[in-house]
This record gives sequence, structure tokens and C-alpha cells, in this order.
Amino acid sequence: MATDWNAVTDEDFRQAFAGLVEDCCPADLRFMRKQRPTFDEVAVFYHGLAERGWLAPTWPVEHGGMGLSPAKHMIYVEEWGRLGCPRIPDHGIGLVGPLLIEHGTQAQKAHFLPRILSGEHVWCQGYSEPNAGSDLASLCTAAVRDGDTFVVNGQKIWTTLAHCANWIFMLVRTSRDEAVRQKGITVLLVDMTTPGVGVRPIANLRGETDFCEVFFDDVRVPVDNVVGAIDQGWTVAKSVLGHERIFLGAPTRPEIAFERLEKLARARGAFDDPAFLSRHARLRLDLYDLGSAFERYARIVREGGELGADVSMLKIFTTELYQRITEETLALAGEDARLFDDIAIGNDHVDAMNLFLDARAPAIFGGSNEIQRNILAKAVLRLPG
Amino acid sequence: MPELRFDDPDGTLAMLRDSVAALAGRHPGAASLRARRGEARDTDRALWTAMAEAGWTGLLLPETIGGSGLGVREQAILSEALGRALLCEPVAGSAVFLSCVLAGAPAGDERDRLAAGFVDGSRIIAPAWRGGKVTARETADGFLLSGAHGHVDQAASATDFAVLADTGNGPAMFSVPADSDGVTVDLQRSVDGAMIGTVRLDNCAVAASGMIVTPDGCEAVLDRAIAATRLALAAELAGIASQAVQDTIDYTKTRIQFGKPIASFQAIQHRLVDMWSDAEFAVAAVSNAVEEAEAGEGRRTALAVLAAKARAGDAAVSICRRAVHLHGAMGFTDECDIGLYLKRAISLNAMLGQPEELRLAFVKLERAA
Repeated sequence: MATDWNAVTDEDFRQAFAGLVEDCCPADLRFMRKQRPTFDEVAVFYHGLAERGWLAPTWPVEHGGMGLSPAKHMIYVEEWGRLGCPRIPDHGIGLVGPLLIEHGTQAQKAHFLPRILSGEHVWCQGYSEPNAGSDLASLCTAAVRDGDTFVVNGQKIWTTLAHCANWIFMLVRTSRDEAVRQKGITVLLVDMTTPGVGVRPIANLRGETDFCEVFFDDVRVPVDNVVGAIDQGWTVAKSVLGHERIFLGAPTRPEIAFERLEKLARARGAFDDPAFLSRHARLRLDLYDLGSAFERYARIVREGGELGADVSMLKIFTTELYQRITEETLALAGEDARLFDDIAIGNDHVDAMNLFLDARAPAIFGGSNEIQRNILAKAVLRLPG
Repeated sequence: MPELRFDDPDGTLAMLRDSVAALAGRHPGAASLRARRGEARDTDRALWTAMAEAGWTGLLLPETIGGSGLGVREQAILSEALGRALLCEPVAGSAVFLSCVLAGAPAGDERDRLAAGFVDGSRIIAPAWRGGKVTARETADGFLLSGAHGHVDQAASATDFAVLADTGNGPAMFSVPADSDGVTVDLQRSVDGAMIGTVRLDNCAVAASGMIVTPDGCEAVLDRAIAATRLALAAELAGIASQAVQDTIDYTKTRIQFGKPIASFQAIQHRLVDMWSDAEFAVAAVSNAVEEAEAGEGRRTALAVLAAKARAGDAAVSICRRAVHLHGAMGFTDECDIGLYLKRAISLNAMLGQPEELRLAFVKLERAA
């Protein structure tokens, strides 16, 4: 009989999680510099979580998940960050699983879910295209029906970790309705070993290759690999993001950056400089107040409520604060701001440039901050179009 | 729109909001402010009396000395609603401050006399405790007070002053009837339309019983009173911020240029979203401070209050500045209410520490651990 994790106290749950991390997350995987390690780099942790039944926190128990309530899931994510666990390739766990559990056929669930848990299938997400970023509904990678198969042609881009994935779940265009562009989009699961699929990693500003271009040249995909109804993919894809949206607004990244800022500030004697103290205090209070605002939404999640569109304000604030903190750190570095490598402080070091560059990304991904503002203007402030 | 949200099992909070709305119906904030300003008065006596009758001035005052004995949560809801309605009497700076002083004062006839008159609105007691220096010299039967304090609300209408003075053995709080010999009041115009005073005392004789808070414990009483006042100011500023966002959304939705409401332009929309978000953060900071105050841990509360006043002050002033701009030339006119919100925000933001000072105090307190 599996443990009902929702029934244990929060404190016991935290301890169980900490014990598990102690067991299966080696020290060299903790607090990794890399934001998006590849599957192989963190495989031991992935399999360790799976063996102990902790890999899929929100999946129902009958599918091999923990069936955590949103409240317990919040703690799971909190502890994950606090203990410095690495990000695992989690598109399968976080997106494909919930998508199939909600919209998949029995056959799809039986086939794919166990293979996500075992790590046999490593998933990536094919949404953005060269001409469909913020304007995602303009995507045009085509899937044309040919009997029991779709023939896919087109290109995806900014596909995170596609170079170490073997399956991609993607949005394809199956028909076109000029009036409503969101219609005619379909969710399709594609085996990346199929002939005609090509992957080209793209180096980012940090010198890492987190994301890729993925090319599709007459790729034949069984019609059985459609999730949900054909042409209804927009609605299907949107439906899987529930309380997880709060995590885009978590204060985690700015907290890490602020700790680095203070470390460098101490080393440089900046706390004796009134001008710095003023800027430092502003950033400290922004971080503190972000915590207060985040807590208001966390409470909604813990109490089982539905998040409104207004939660986007956290994403804007936290990503812009992350940028401002890393900009201040770089300014404090003086001529060491020339360094791509970390700045040495005695036996320690501060990754000023690493974080500054990293902070460019979150304001763009997950819906750029300008798109978030558009959403808030429309859905929350009800401003005219 | 941004608004404080707390559990309200017995409906007290909803009742407070309704009662502010009802009073604002009878004494519209902007009209009261303009009238007060036009006649160079320091208070709208009818409005202040109505507030006292509604139980708002003694909201935090313990029931044992005639108050309502409510808590920080109720005060925050009231102050937020007052900010929204632009009801500009000094509830935070005078009523909240005095309630804490009287609650912290040792039992005594003079304390009870002040509390009774303060709660029923028959007396106006103006705290005079900052922006200057007053010394108290002990005499055979009392004290002689000399010096001055500034930033005194309701200074001309006051029947009594609560004066902070240095006794040589530490600060103490004195009750000084306004008609005492040696008391003079100078008035200046404040930006939000009320006259504010400097109270001068020249060898003003006060009976021994007039020392309502003794040096023993005065600093602790002051600290609590300052924190409670700052929290009420923060809530009022958050209310101003939220209302200014709402008014600006309403205005830009109706203002047509180039054949469309200007609220349909993305440049305007993104500004409105940022203003709205700033107001939400202000409300969240106030909410956090209320909860910390209720939890009762001193240092955490002190930090949360500093953060809330800084955040709400910054938000209210900067939102109102942007709101004036988005009202176009209309926003620059005196007949448009949005400018009154800006002026009120500036005034409250300036009280008991501007954001920069509060932020530095926060970090200092946090790092002292």
C-alpha cells in the first residue's frame, strides 16, 4: 500500500523529501551551475526519484504518481529548490503526463506514461516556430493526412533540450480558419528517431546549448499519436496549465542572485558606500515584498482555489527583479565585469556574468513580459481591444 | 481591483467598508477637501465628528477606556477605505497614534478625560511630538514646557495637545490644553489642502497630572504608536493607489482619440498594467504587515511595517503621478479629482519616513540580527 502523502504532516513530508534527496541526489548534482542539465547528466537522480515513486508528484497514484494536492506540491517544489536539486528534463513529467492523463486514450496512457517514469522516453516541447513566438497561433508546421498517418513538414525552434530528447510533443497545423487562427491546430506526439527529423542545437548567451531547432521533412506520424481531437490542439494544450503557473512567479532566481550580490558586496566593501546601501535596500525590499505577494497566491493554491490571470504579475515582477539584481552585481564588479568566468573571492567565487546572462531569458520565455502585460490588460483590467 | 482580503467571519470588515461608503456618500471626500482648502481650515469638523460617532477614531482604543477595542486588521480595512474615498481627516496620524499612546499610558484621570473626549468627538486632541524639540522643566507643582513641534494636524481646532517633551530623564508625553498660557500655533498650507500647524510652547505650565506617559516606558509606547500609525498610513496609501488606478482605467476607457478609447492603445495598456501591479504589491505588503502584527513577533512585525509603508508610499505617489499624466491636460486641472489623490499621496508618503529612509531602516534592523 503506497503512502498517502497528502495525509502526512507538512513537516514529515519535508523530512521525507529531504531524506530522499540525501539518498538519491549526489552532491555534485546539487546547486548545479547549469540551469538545464541533459538527461544523462542527471539520470541517476531521475531514476532514483522514479524508483522511490517520487518522480511524478501531481500524477494520480494509479498512473504511478504521488497524487499530491496543490498544497503538498507547493512544498515539493519549495524543498526541491531549497535543497539545490537540479532541474531534470521534466517535459514528460510536467506536461506530457498531465496532457495524456486529461486528454489521452487508454492506449496512449498505457503506452507512454510508464515510459516517462522509466526514462525510456525523454520528451521535449515543440511549440515555438521561427515566425510563431509570442504570436504562437500563427504556427504553420503542417501535418497533412495520408490515410492512417500524418505527414509533417516544417520547423520548430527554441525547443529546450531537444538534442537529448527522443520524443517531441508538438503543435501542428492540420487545417486553417482565417477568422480564428487558434482553430486547426493539433497536438501530435512524434518519435524523434523517425526519418526526416533533424535537430540543431543553438548556443545561447551563456555559452550553453539548452535549446535547439528541430526540422521536419516528410516525417510520417501515425494518426494514433494525436492527443485529444484533431484541430482542437490549442484548447487541449492550454488546459494542462493549472496551479503550476504560480511557479513562473516564484522568487527563487532573484533570491539566489541577491545572495550573490551580497557576497560580492561584502568582498568589495560596498556596504560602506551610502549610494550602494540605497540601491541594495531597494532590491532587498523588492525581494521581501515579492515574497509577500507570492504568499497571497500560494495561499490560494494551498486552499485549493483557482489561480486567475492576475498571477502573471508575479512573473513580470520576479523576472525583472532578477535582471535588476544581476545588473547591480555586474556594476559592483568593476573591471571584473569583463570576465566571462566567475569572479574569485578568496576561496569562493561569484558567477556575476553567468547570472546576468541567465536573467535575460526568463523575461522572454513562458510568454514574454510584454505578452503577460497584454494578457493582464485584457483579462484582468478588461481594457478595450 | 487591488483590495485587502482577510477572513471576515462576523462581517465586521464588510460593515466597516459599507460604513465608509455611506459616510463618503454624505461627505464626499473631494468636496470636503476643496471646501476645507477654500476656507483655509485645518479640519472638516462635521466630517471628523461623524468619524468619531462612527467609532473610527477610537477603533484601536481598548474598550476599558471607551474605545472599540478592534485590531490592526479592522484598522487596515478602515484606512484603506478612507484612502479610496479620499476622506482626508487625520485618522492615521492622530486617531491611531493617540489610541496607542492612551492605551499605553498608565491609568489616570487625565488619560480617561482625554480618551472620553477623543472617542465621542467632543475634544480634538492633536499630537505634537515631532519636527521640533520641547523640554519639560519640573517645578514644585508640575512642569514648564518650552519649545516647538511641527507637522501638527488639526492644530488650530485642537482643544488639547499631546506633547512629547524631554524631561531630562527621558521623553514623556504631556496633555496640554490648547488654551493654556504660553501656547501659540502657526499655520501653513499642506499640499493636501488642510492647514497644518507648528505648536510653540513658551514656559507653558502643566500640572503634574498632565504627564500622561512617564519617561519610564515612553519610548516603548512611542515605538508601538509609530508602528501602528505607519501601518494605517500604508493601508490608506494602498487605498489611494488602488482608487487612482481604477479612476485612470475608467478615464482612459472613455477618452476617445483617433477614433478609439485611448485605453485600447498598447502603450497606455502596459502603463495601466504596471500601475495596477504596483497597487497589488502595495496591498500585498500591507496584508503581510497586518498578518505579522497579528502573529505578534516584534522584530518580524517591525520589518513588515517598514516594508509596507515604503511600498505603499512609493506605489501611491508613483501611481498617482502616472495617473495625472494619463488624464492628459485634464489631469493638470484642479477640478479633476486625480490631482487631489496625488497630493494626498505625497502628504501621507512624507509622514513618518519616506520610502528610502524606511528601506534603510529595514535593512539595518534585518542585518542587526
